[in-house]
Amino acid sequence: MITAVRVEALKLARSPVGGTATLALVLGIVVLLAGITAGVAGGDPRLIAKAGPAAALDWEGLVAGAHQIAAAAALLGFGSVLSWMFAREFTDRTITGLFALPVGRGRIALAKLTVHLLWAVLVGLVLPLGVAALGLLLGYGAPTAEAGGALARLSALVALTGILATPVAWIATVTRSLLAGVGGTIALVAIAQVGALAGAGGWMPLAAPALWAMSGGAAVNAVQLALVPVFGAAFTVLTCAAWARLQLTR
Amino acid sequence: MVGEVLDFSGVGFRFHGGTGVDDLAFHVDPGEVVALIGLNGAGKTTLMRLALGMLRPQRGRVRLFGEPSADLPDAAWGRVGALVEVPPAYPELTVRENLRIACLLRGGDTRRVEEAVDRWRLAPVADRRFRRLSLGDRQRTGLAAALQHRPRLVVLDEPGNALDPASVILLREQLSRRAGEGAAILVSSHHLDEVARIADRVLLMNRGRLIGRLDTTGADLERAFFERVREDDERRDRDGEGTR
Repeated sequence: MITAVRVEALKLARSPVGGTATLALVLGIVVLLAGITAGVAGGDPRLIAKAGPAAALDWEGLVAGAHQIAAAAALLGFGSVLSWMFAREFTDRTITGLFALPVGRGRIALAKLTVHLLWAVLVGLVLPLGVAALGLLLGYGAPTAEAGGALARLSALVALTGILATPVAWIATVTRSLLAGVGGTIALVAIAQVGALAGAGGWMPLAAPALWAMSGGAAVNAVQLALVPVFGAAFTVLTCAAWARLQLTR
Repeated sequence: MVGEVLDFSGVGFRFHGGTGVDDLAFHVDPGEVVALIGLNGAGKTTLMRLALGMLRPQRGRVRLFGEPSADLPDAAWGRVGALVEVPPAYPELTVRENLRIACLLRGGDTRRVEEAVDRWRLAPVADRRFRRLSLGDRQRTGLAAALQHRPRLVVLDEPGNALDPASVILLREQLSRRAGEGAAILVSSHHLDEVARIADRVLLMNRGRLIGRLDTTGADLERAFFERVREDDERRDRDGEGTR
């Protein structure tokens, strides 16, 4: 299993996909926040109305904006990379090399998901640093205790979003298509938004981490948040089973 | 029979479209090179996929090292080396990195990677990314990955593809060496190429079935091969069998 994790980590680290996605997520979100801040500071009334709590020109406003953007952007980014990690074995025709090995395909799938989650945790550690650097550049001074807590929740939100992307691995496996996996990612984002708007709230794993992060933990209880790893585990089992049973019939 | 490394017994598999293979029965013994010859679409790759667990038989039984392939312990797959269709290498990794991960995944000794680089004359491109290789270098990388861990069962689908004459000789030498060390080797080809000609036995395949052996001591083997295929086609058309 450790061998499979090492191999999958090397593949992600050496591919342009891993590096590009990391940059896009961290720099992209920081640049977007800087743009929103500039718009709010310029007095754009439509932007201020849409930004809500993120319209405040202080640490709380900055991190609230980061929560809002990261909830959707991280799911899109993680889902797209996860789709590539699984579907590329079929499109690059490397899947034949993953048969007839002492490492079972179920364990290879688990190794892929493990590497993906480790990468999501890494992005979750780097993104708050980028947001903090932006806050310092904007002259907000040293982060307040509340802002520190919100940055920690941002880190957890990103890592939990890595778990929420797990169904994409199963979709990409069943369809053997990168685009289908990306389509599944967009569907997950849409379901999360619709679920949140419909009031499903904390009981909906796809929306719970964002609601938890944005409410300072008030809107989602521990049991509701614990459904996120359960949701991820269920799709991990489905994905690993699909890989273990895989046949090259196409 | 005890000692058979690969054994097919009444194996059949049908794809959704109706094509497939039927009644496959053959074996490969230790130290033996068996060539599987058939025209494009004869079912050679399907047979090899069945041997390697990429497909599960719908009828009959595939045994490896004396065990049904479905029950083969994971560790035993480390004694198998295969190249089916295209070399399964990652374009973003170098030749050396691809060989290293192939070795790691098979539980092999990674010191053999350098040996494989030398043996397969890959040193000039060892640090080049796989996507930048010529077709011939790609094929040699795939063959090196399949053989570097010294497998006891070797399954190669059209291994001579894209190889220049010097590389074909190299491949023949490596296969003869593996067989000399007791490995069972199954290679496929759509014609009687230079690789197939080193085989101890040549099996003919047509329209999803094994149709017998080819006597390689005779003259004009290509003509004899096509004649057997033509006779099989005529007989099956006469008997009203559909195409694969």
